[in-house]
Amino acid sequence: MAHYGMVMDQRRCIGCQSCTVACRAWNDLPLDIIYNPVVTEGVQGAYPNVHETWTPLICMHCVNAPCVACCPTGASQKDPDTGIVFVDSAKCMGCKVCVNACPYGARDTSGMVSHLEGYVRKCNFCRDRVARGEQPYCVATCHQRARIFGDLDDPGSDISKLVGSVGTYRLLEEYGTEPSVYYIPDLGGKR
Amino acid sequence: MAYYDKDVDIHADGVEVKKSCCYFCHQNCGVLAYVKDGKVLKIEGDPDHPTNSGGLCCRGNIALQHLDHPARNNHPLKRAGEKGEGKWDRISWDQAISEIAAKLCQIRDESGAEAVATAGGTLRTEDWARRRFMNMFGSPNSFHNALLCWIPTFMVETAVSGWSPFETDLGDSRCIILWGMNPGASSLPGMRGYTDLQMAGLKIVVVDPRYSETASKADLWLPLKPGSDTELSLAMLNTIIYEGLYNAEFVQNWCEGFEELTAHIAEYTPEWAAPRTWLDAEQIRTAARMYAKNTPSNIQWGCTADQLGPNSGAGMHARACMRAICGNLDCPGGDLMPGPSMGYYCDEEIEANDWLDEGQRAKQIGSDRYRLTSWPGYGIIAGIAKEKWGKAPTAEWMCEAHGPSVFKAILTGDPYQVRALIVNATNPVNSYGDSKMTLAALRQVEFLVTCDYWMTPAALYSDYVMPIAGALERPTIHTNYGVTDSILCSQRAIQPMYERHTDYSFWHDLALATGQDADQWPWDDEEEAFFYILSPLGYPVQTYDEFVENYRFYYPPLHYYKYGDKGFCTRSGKVELKSSVMEEIGLPSLPTFTPNAENEIDNPEVAEEYPLVLTTGGGYMPFHHSEEFQIESVRYLYPEPRFKMNAATAEAYGIGEGDWCWIETRRGRIKQRAEIDQSLHVDTVWCGRGWWYPELGINDRDDPFGCLDSNVNVLTSVDAEHCDPIGGSWANRGLLCKVYRCRPTEAGINMGRVDTAFSIPGSAPTPGIHVTPSEEPRAYDLIAYDPKPTFDVPEGLVWDKGRKVAWDPASNLVYDPESGWLYDPATYVYYDVLTRYAYDPEAQNLVDMGTGKRYDMETRAEIVGGGDR
Repeated sequence: MAHYGMVMDQRRCIGCQSCTVACRAWNDLPLDIIYNPVVTEGVQGAYPNVHETWTPLICMHCVNAPCVACCPTGASQKDPDTGIVFVDSAKCMGCKVCVNACPYGARDTSGMVSHLEGYVRKCNFCRDRVARGEQPYCVATCHQRARIFGDLDDPGSDISKLVGSVGTYRLLEEYGTEPSVYYIPDLGGKR
Repeated sequence: MAYYDKDVDIHADGVEVKKSCCYFCHQNCGVLAYVKDGKVLKIEGDPDHPTNSGGLCCRGNIALQHLDHPARNNHPLKRAGEKGEGKWDRISWDQAISEIAAKLCQIRDESGAEAVATAGGTLRTEDWARRRFMNMFGSPNSFHNALLCWIPTFMVETAVSGWSPFETDLGDSRCIILWGMNPGASSLPGMRGYTDLQMAGLKIVVVDPRYSETASKADLWLPLKPGSDTELSLAMLNTIIYEGLYNAEFVQNWCEGFEELTAHIAEYTPEWAAPRTWLDAEQIRTAARMYAKNTPSNIQWGCTADQLGPNSGAGMHARACMRAICGNLDCPGGDLMPGPSMGYYCDEEIEANDWLDEGQRAKQIGSDRYRLTSWPGYGIIAGIAKEKWGKAPTAEWMCEAHGPSVFKAILTGDPYQVRALIVNATNPVNSYGDSKMTLAALRQVEFLVTCDYWMTPAALYSDYVMPIAGALERPTIHTNYGVTDSILCSQRAIQPMYERHTDYSFWHDLALATGQDADQWPWDDEEEAFFYILSPLGYPVQTYDEFVENYRFYYPPLHYYKYGDKGFCTRSGKVELKSSVMEEIGLPSLPTFTPNAENEIDNPEVAEEYPLVLTTGGGYMPFHHSEEFQIESVRYLYPEPRFKMNAATAEAYGIGEGDWCWIETRRGRIKQRAEIDQSLHVDTVWCGRGWWYPELGINDRDDPFGCLDSNVNVLTSVDAEHCDPIGGSWANRGLLCKVYRCRPTEAGINMGRVDTAFSIPGSAPTPGIHVTPSEEPRAYDLIAYDPKPTFDVPEGLVWDKGRKVAWDPASNLVYDPESGWLYDPATYVYYDVLTRYAYDPEAQNLVDMGTGKRYDMETRAEIVGGGDR
């Protein structure tokens, strides 16, 4: 049993979009599907007192995943052994209920011609790589080590140590989704 | 295309893992290529690679899209229609090589070898092979865009300190200045290192007019006026000296010319620099104190240093002095000076520079004006280095023709007609200054050959286009321009696809086809050449591939304070703050301020029409120079060109976010879309570099691929008075511009007419050649150098103007006018000026080092017996 999660260290992220492009290359995704965009509100403040931070987004692999609860066919699932939320493409009929249910906009329907063709796609933490003991590809490719992946249930893992030792926040915690992705904020460039 | 459910299994039987590298910038990040049946299935970052530890940026991840992109050049092409018409015959590689060779030989016979020039690209070609070809062919006219990228800095720092101290030893450093450098967009593995160390206490100062990715993480950000880096350098140097923050012991023991420097820079106070840099004098002092008090500290070079125009060299010189007087040279945590590799063969050793005789060297275009980075200065520096180490810096890069002057020579025949140009791995219209002039030269040159991955504007006007293999199709070797002591190697993942060849194959094949001796080209492919380069290291391997498989890199043990053994690699053996090399070739021997190409203080009449200050040339994701514009999976991140300006300025000009605008300088105008950026000074305009639109094709033969529409180099200047007399670099930063919205009929790519008319000088108000290049005024004149001896030169000795000494060339002994003796500069043993016998201070007599016989000091009569102790 494991509970995989990710930490986004915004002190390190520089908004280079490497993870975004890498994910698409590794997963052979078409141009209009992006699992993990990096967003920014741009430069805040005014010259010369300014700051800018970046927020990498991804499926939050929620403990209470609304996309799993709402799926009428059981295609949207949570792997009990890893906590990874994924879509079984054979079972998905493309009704897009999960797309509406996800408060993070983490599910992509681009390229679906109709609900009978294709299926909903999303990040699955590179399950196949994780099963071989490797890191998800976006984590491996991040030069800045701004993404840290690991087992939140293992108190000895890097991710557990990090989440326990520095201030973190999660996105839209008020919805009770219990996301497995934590953020370490960059407090405006100064540390 | 497979979505999500991957049909590629890299773990299947028969899949081989090759240790390749990324080739989309200079970092050479390690890549693992999964290969089956000669095809690359997948790539990923190599977790065991010392550079990237598994990381790959957006460019690195698109290697497979690059490898077989439908727009790649796959076959040799011979022009069938008019130049630029885009009609081609597909021919074989061998036919292309033999026809090109015949034409080059014909031009050499008719006009001399110097009528053939070659332009190189970035650090991703085997340009020692190009140099080797050119040296044996007999032409001194190979060049790169290198004058905008580190080479002048390397040469100035080497003239001052004996070798550029470019390797930052960050583990023990306490403070680093990232000067005009943004690793957050241009060297991502480095950025991780800075962040790691910063979290452990390293202080980071970022000097950048733009609030870059790196500035967003800095401890101190200095948002200076674009192009004023030299003023800032001089004022920081002034602060360090006049506040007594330098390392007095190092200055005393190891620096020459400190007193002259102190007097010379007295006027460059922070108060003097403040209005020129838009910084407060106090900010400048803070930065200087931060750097000088937190030693060991580093200055990380950035491209800005080489792109400032006429005052670039003074800034390099000032920073070289800062590094030295603060005691940061070659010490733990400081700026290390690796010197040439004593392990493997350096590039210089395989360039065959001896083949080019003095007569041909003297014909190198631009070497009369830009002497440090061409044969006159390089020759002196290489001579000193060879004397000290037996090895020298790379000539390819450090000793080249002046690119823009070659383009002007094509257009004007001044100083002579350049008839042929081979363009390899570069897109000159986008990467050199004054694009309209450069494009005109490419259209006009009699014979043009382009070797490239893609059909570029240069390729379009070529007589032959040669398809070149990329990173996965070739092995690579990385030695930082051949001037460091480490080496980083990667394997060929697959053989070149289609009829592509590597650039090494091109020069090798062309060399043989032009009649060069096959014995001089004993390496059939890169693997053989690289194995030869590595062979002195003595690894127990039989092939290059085996070396990569088992070792991959060679980093010799760090050796600090190397100057302690032999002194610095300068004439005096000390850091020459007042540089004797610069003095000898007619350049200011101390850092001396010169105004920027254009600025509101010195050129108010220009500023009246062009009130804003332009900066350009900096890198930004996801592009590298003018590359990757074809690759959809990164282009989507940045589909259209953007320039940045402050919100208040935009509002005053009625410009809104995303508006298409004209940006105009005295040279011309381009259009990009407005991006409002609150981090910029109200008068600063930042303009994205590199823009062309390969997707447009030959929409307009005067402006192929839209290469003049949004290309910022239409705005930059290569006018001789805007070039740096020291390094030869031209002006990309701190130029005066104006910005205004496009009319609706012009707002967009490929809309409205593009102005293609060029002028020499480019800043002239009307098109045409107004002045021949050799009569173009320069930023400042060279200083005549002809020192006379201040003493009587004894008979039999020769006066050396460079070293300002009298010496005996036969014995290498130098005359000391104070004592009237000769001495050996290496051992400081004194010799009698008449007899050349050595002085033995213990026995108080003279020794003939040849025979061992001893002579009396006064009478010089032989001492028979008893003389031996």
